[in-house]
Amino acid sequence: MSLSENMTRWRYKYVPDKAIGEILSKNWIDTLIPAFFLSVVLIIFGTQMPTFLSAANLSDIGRIYGEYLFIAIGLTIVMMAGGIDLSVGSTFALCNFVALSFINYMEWPIAVGMIVVVAVGAFVGLINGILIGYLRLRAFLTTLVMLIIVRAIVDMLLLDYAMIIGRGFNMSPVWEFMALGDILGLPASLMAAIAVAILAHITLTRLRFGWHVMAVGGSRRSAFNAGIKVKRTVCLTYVISGALCGLAACFYAARLSSASADVGRGLEVTILTAVVLGGISLGGGRGSVVKAALGTLIILLVQNSLIQMGFLSGNSSLILGGVLLAAVAIDVRWVKNRHKVLARAYVSPTYFKLPDLPDTSQGSDSPYALNDKLRGVEAIGLGELDGPEDMIFDRDDNMYCGSRHGDVMRIFAPDYKRVEVFAHIGGHPLGMAFDAEDNLHVCVGGMGLFKVAPDRTVTKLSDETNRSWTSIVDDSRLRLADDLDIAPDGRVFFSEATVRYEMYDWMVDALEARGNGRIICYDPKTDTSRTVVPNKQLPNGICVEFEGQSLLYAETWGCRITRYWFDGPKKGQTEVIIENLPGYPDNINRASDGTYWCALCGMRSPVFDLAQEMPGFRRRMVQAVARDDWLYPNMNTGCVIKFDRDGNILDTLWDLGGEAHPMITSIREHKGYLYLGGIYNNRVGRYPIEGADQNWTSSVSYWGKNRGGTRK
Amino acid sequence: MISYFKRAMDNFRGSGEAAVTVPSLDGAIRPNHLLERAKVAATAEAPDQIVASDGTVLYSSGPGLYLLGDGTEFHRFDSNISAVAAGPDGVLAVGLTQGGVQIVGGRHDGVVLEEAFSCPVALLFDGADTLFVANGSAQYPANQWKHDLMSKGCSGSVWRVNLANQQAERIMDKLAWPYGLGLSPGGLIVTEAWKHRVSQRGSDGKVTHVLNDLPGYPARISPTADGGWWLAVFAPRNQLTEFILRESVFRARMMAEIEPDHWAAPALEQSDTYMRPLQGGAQKHLGVVKPWAPTLSYGLVIRLDHKLYPLFSQHSRADGRRHGITSVVEIDQQVYAASKGGDVVLALTDIKERATV
Repeated sequence: MSLSENMTRWRYKYVPDKAIGEILSKNWIDTLIPAFFLSVVLIIFGTQMPTFLSAANLSDIGRIYGEYLFIAIGLTIVMMAGGIDLSVGSTFALCNFVALSFINYMEWPIAVGMIVVVAVGAFVGLINGILIGYLRLRAFLTTLVMLIIVRAIVDMLLLDYAMIIGRGFNMSPVWEFMALGDILGLPASLMAAIAVAILAHITLTRLRFGWHVMAVGGSRRSAFNAGIKVKRTVCLTYVISGALCGLAACFYAARLSSASADVGRGLEVTILTAVVLGGISLGGGRGSVVKAALGTLIILLVQNSLIQMGFLSGNSSLILGGVLLAAVAIDVRWVKNRHKVLARAYVSPTYFKLPDLPDTSQGSDSPYALNDKLRGVEAIGLGELDGPEDMIFDRDDNMYCGSRHGDVMRIFAPDYKRVEVFAHIGGHPLGMAFDAEDNLHVCVGGMGLFKVAPDRTVTKLSDETNRSWTSIVDDSRLRLADDLDIAPDGRVFFSEATVRYEMYDWMVDALEARGNGRIICYDPKTDTSRTVVPNKQLPNGICVEFEGQSLLYAETWGCRITRYWFDGPKKGQTEVIIENLPGYPDNINRASDGTYWCALCGMRSPVFDLAQEMPGFRRRMVQAVARDDWLYPNMNTGCVIKFDRDGNILDTLWDLGGEAHPMITSIREHKGYLYLGGIYNNRVGRYPIEGADQNWTSSVSYWGKNRGGTRK
Repeated sequence: MISYFKRAMDNFRGSGEAAVTVPSLDGAIRPNHLLERAKVAATAEAPDQIVASDGTVLYSSGPGLYLLGDGTEFHRFDSNISAVAAGPDGVLAVGLTQGGVQIVGGRHDGVVLEEAFSCPVALLFDGADTLFVANGSAQYPANQWKHDLMSKGCSGSVWRVNLANQQAERIMDKLAWPYGLGLSPGGLIVTEAWKHRVSQRGSDGKVTHVLNDLPGYPARISPTADGGWWLAVFAPRNQLTEFILRESVFRARMMAEIEPDHWAAPALEQSDTYMRPLQGGAQKHLGVVKPWAPTLSYGLVIRLDHKLYPLFSQHSRADGRRHGITSVVEIDQQVYAASKGGDVVLALTDIKERATV
């Protein structure tokens, strides 16, 4: 192996490329943008202004931040539902006036006063909500008008009562605490705002109302079609926004007792800039409270610092406006291009070198030599089946197989002409096995492990396993359960082909060549699943060996078959028994003579083998070339091999040209015949095995002669 | 200097020369199945070129020249024939894979031109005494066209030979596999396979690229009765091939380690072997390869008008077999096409009709 090849190997072993794509696919990735801006702001002002990080400055900022944060959260909720609220500044001013009147001047109890203030805010919000939610007025114009009207009311009130209110003073310690108090060193308003923020975050991400808000903002029509009460949800978001303005005004009133006409003027632009900068999309449906909080913090720091640095207020507004423009531009471009970045970064190939391709030429001494044995095999269910990945037989010789439409099909013995839907599961059924009580166990792509009883009741056995510690994406959900087999004690061992791709992208996994799959054990006694063999290259076929202590599994992209002991003295150990197959192994099943059959679903081509050694080539290909033109493993030719427990190849069956069975994903021996299935095929093939035991069935081989009998 | 920056920019953006995009089959080149449905005029192993000589129609296959009607052998050579041209009075010029051009019949019978013609892939008589020779490549013989393509060959040349004194004059060079020659009133027409274009060389020596951005690699071109042209396109362009042409390390290893038949490169014939790489869209579903699947081989003939603009075309698509059309010839209102990849000579029908699916 040359030096550069070694370098490539080490490079792809230790640099986790796939992490980039997985991080990009996370929802919180958007938060990195405001977090980056925040650090820039901190660095700039922290170095330029000596007093910037002083305790007094931070405490001042903290109090204002608390007040701003209430309003920002309210606006965030409105914007997540696809709306906008420009009336927050005026509402804030009105609530400030009300708070000063009732609490300061009339000296109502604080609790009652605050409730009234919040109610006034909520009432303004309700008017907005009814107009926008129920009467379907434009949010922008409606709240703009509301901004003017409420501001006019405040101005009129101030004209008459400003002097009177200014004389009031509430001596209550609670009121003073709201203004000046600290909890754990943080200003009271900030603590309250943090509590509200946590509540809002939980509501938006975990509770029904929050999901409705996200759904309405993401797609109003779809949300309506899904049965969400769109009008009510929209209306409620404005009510919440108004109420939070009221809450903010309480703290503001307590702190400053100011009833000037400037209160809340221009606040809507400041808060809007803050949340858009934080990454709350103007289009709705995207955002989080954390982002709003980050955005608000940035704006506040900038605003505050600019004033302290002696900029006139006009300059400060100019800068704020510039920031808003930039934030909107970034928002639009990022939302538009995010999925493109993700698509380019997600497929992350790694280095994989296979030994030289074994000889398969016709007439050679190779055990894999080409022949024509599968030419003209009998077709079952031709045109009626669609995608029988695996098939199996019950004790009455009826055949069961999957279909792309999400059904388990039953084909009746003895002539296998009549086809019916045995059970509908919903996902494409792949591997199948019967247990001791004649329940059919099925791996369903995209869904998990299911059980179909003889009376057709469908039960989900497992759709998750333990999450691995190092994975960035949540890999506990089963994405592509593939094949299974059942141990004598009833434990189900099944393979999950890949954790990075969905059912219909499984071949893209070949371009990565990484061990993305795993083998999982489902224990019916505890009804739980655990991963027993992680990080395999598309683990596919599973077959419990005749001795009942070990199983054989095929790694499709690894071109090898491995033994894994789940019981006995070698428990937990693995041993590779066949390496360097000429093709990609799929399902493995028992043969009547104590050996095993394995289907090769596709064959290796020299060009693809070469590409596997050059991960950079594959990555660039994925980025530059259209998806349909990508280089794939050759899945248009398949074959069947027979091997013994030591891994010696005993026989190979070919269908040259791939007329009837271009891709063989499964084989099953039953009463002297070998049945062939293909995930993209429209039939099951039937091939008479020369010299096979005419009475051998897999049911008897696994569970003995008694129907529905006791376990072996 | 500007061209250097343009190249660097193209490489960065994947545009211009560095683009992997291929022209779509649209307009006059909209796909149909006409080649697949055409009548078989003869079955032969890898028929390459068809010529009309002295009232008979001949096609070349391997080292032999055969009569189209009954398939009798007309002439046989020491090595495979790489090009044929017919001149006045039954004279034939034959290029050989081993190199060199032989004259059979006529007043220059027996003349052998060996000098410089290591890869004669197209020949054309202009009167009895002048022969144009297109030498595909200076590096590779005619049967190693795939090597020349995948090494981005650009060493082809066109020569004018005076048969009387056997003086050869090079009139064009640095061509990317000149594969077809024709004489039009405006000058000499040359197809440049690897550049996907048809060029015209005026009598003053000025070259214009008349037909550009073909969706495949053009082969021979031949005149029709009404002054138009038939253009044979022997292999399709493919995004994967275009991409591999940009990947020099991969290309070098592929050429060094893998047999040419199994390369990810354009091919003449549709192949069943799994040793040839598969592209995602060519995966068989329910036993069927889709006609629009990405493919390394294709059958395409394009009818051009007198200005070399495409009028209509006939196709054999990804699910077909009549691929690798290397020559199309119109003889007495009958059009024949040699499908080198499909091992047949076709008699085309429906030639007046526009392409329909």
